[in-house]
Amino acid sequence: MYEEPYRWIEAVGNRRQYLDEQFTKGAPVMACAYADGILMLTASRGTPKLYEIYDRIALGGMGHPADLEKLRFSLLEMAHIEGFNRSPSDVTGARLMKYGLAPAIKQAFEEIYKAPFIVKILLAELGTRPERDLFLTINYDGTFEESRRWAALGATAAVQAQMGRYLDAQAGFEQAPLKQAVETALCAWAVGSLAQVAAGAAEAEEPPGPRSVETAASDASTFPDKASLLAHVQQIATEKSLECILLERSGPGSSKYRALRPDELGGLLPSGIRAGSPA
Amino acid sequence: MGMQGDFFQLLKEQGYQFGNPVAAAAGIEVPTATTILALKYRDGVLVAGDRRATAGNMVMYDRTDKVLEIDRYSVMAIAGVPATAYEMVRVLEHSFKYYRRTQLQELSFEGKLRAVSKLLKENVPAALAGTGAVVPVFAGYDHEQGAAKIYFYDILGAEFEAVEYAVSGSGSPTIRGILHYQNTWGPQPLAALPEEQATVQALRLLSSAAEFDSATGGVNRELNLYPVVKLITEAGVRVVADGELKRLYEQDVVRAR
Repeated sequence: MYEEPYRWIEAVGNRRQYLDEQFTKGAPVMACAYADGILMLTASRGTPKLYEIYDRIALGGMGHPADLEKLRFSLLEMAHIEGFNRSPSDVTGARLMKYGLAPAIKQAFEEIYKAPFIVKILLAELGTRPERDLFLTINYDGTFEESRRWAALGATAAVQAQMGRYLDAQAGFEQAPLKQAVETALCAWAVGSLAQVAAGAAEAEEPPGPRSVETAASDASTFPDKASLLAHVQQIATEKSLECILLERSGPGSSKYRALRPDELGGLLPSGIRAGSPA
Repeated sequence: MGMQGDFFQLLKEQGYQFGNPVAAAAGIEVPTATTILALKYRDGVLVAGDRRATAGNMVMYDRTDKVLEIDRYSVMAIAGVPATAYEMVRVLEHSFKYYRRTQLQELSFEGKLRAVSKLLKENVPAALAGTGAVVPVFAGYDHEQGAAKIYFYDILGAEFEAVEYAVSGSGSPTIRGILHYQNTWGPQPLAALPEEQATVQALRLLSSAAEFDSATGGVNRELNLYPVVKLITEAGVRVVADGELKRLYEQDVVRAR
């Protein structure tokens, strides 16, 4: 039935709709530069969503854990073989994205008889100098983007843009010390998380109507104040655990990745927020 | 595929071969010879090595680092053919990282030891052909047992745990006796030495080795060349800076005239 072109386009359209729905309840991922490197954070339940890929590369993901795991393994394999055969400095986020992730995700997305990868992935790469830090994000259909200073994963492109807009409004966040940077990043994360909640509520009120997820999210031109953003984080932290990892430019040894332990993260969080869920 | 986190297996699947023997090895001068030592001191393990690489009676290089960090908690000191040794370290380094990153936990200390033995075993043909013999000393911090440990190997991959100290390389017979003497009848056993005194001992031992073994480089003060000294404690591997070695050398190794 897919031989006819328009059938195929229709099938791909259905697939997009199906995939978009898969992410509406997922936790966003926020990554940004700070004074000593890069930090990435999210909230997760059970399986972690932030991982170490190579000496200077970290991964954050949204979506199905099994798909994420499969892609994570292929990235790890590619990075380590390359790092061994050539050198660790030849393992770059851009190459992993262009020759590793993107072709695999795009192919799975377009092979409409097979299941697509239900994932969105963010790669953060710590440069030797701050201006060389790089962020790459890839959508479930294989389109990827490069950015500087920050990157975000959210249910829709609009949510991601909104998280970034909030961060851009916080002047000089990339020079902030860790504690301050964690707070700012959490607020940006909460902007995304709240936008997804709002979009979900709007969807529930008037299903398939003209007011889609996209428009609901992009409507909000002003952001909630910091107190309500942090209150949202606090509420999320009662059911999920907050995860935060760092790529530290001056960290010891060649591996710059470090996951903050819950107690360490707890000490960095604004008062009233717990890093781990009580469970 | 790859689910077990075994990087060496992955390399082999890619057609990689470790330690190929070269049939016509006779007559080739392979760079070897060195002195490395590891000893347990009060806070952990000290590993040190001279910096000379030789081929026959030629000095090839005087700035070799033979005490190589494999990860934050383990080092391998190498005596033998550097080409093989460096390759081993590269394989080990990537294997431990790959394991940690795929399995989301550190490879156990036993696992690390096993990985070293396995590589040495793969290397047996090259070792016997005379082109690739490596006799390493492996030291690291075992978090499971809360202790720093030293292991030494023969070229066939047999693994021995050193209770107090281990030495390897052509200069080692000289200092083995000194270590035994110091440990048994010295003012205090090696294991009780504080960090600074342990470092002084290492400098003295390597200077002694250089005195009697032409293939061991001692201290070259004109060029500001000091041996490599690394300390492994619960906090991880730390390199003793050249400035500190210079200070200790001038203070406690050179005899005042």
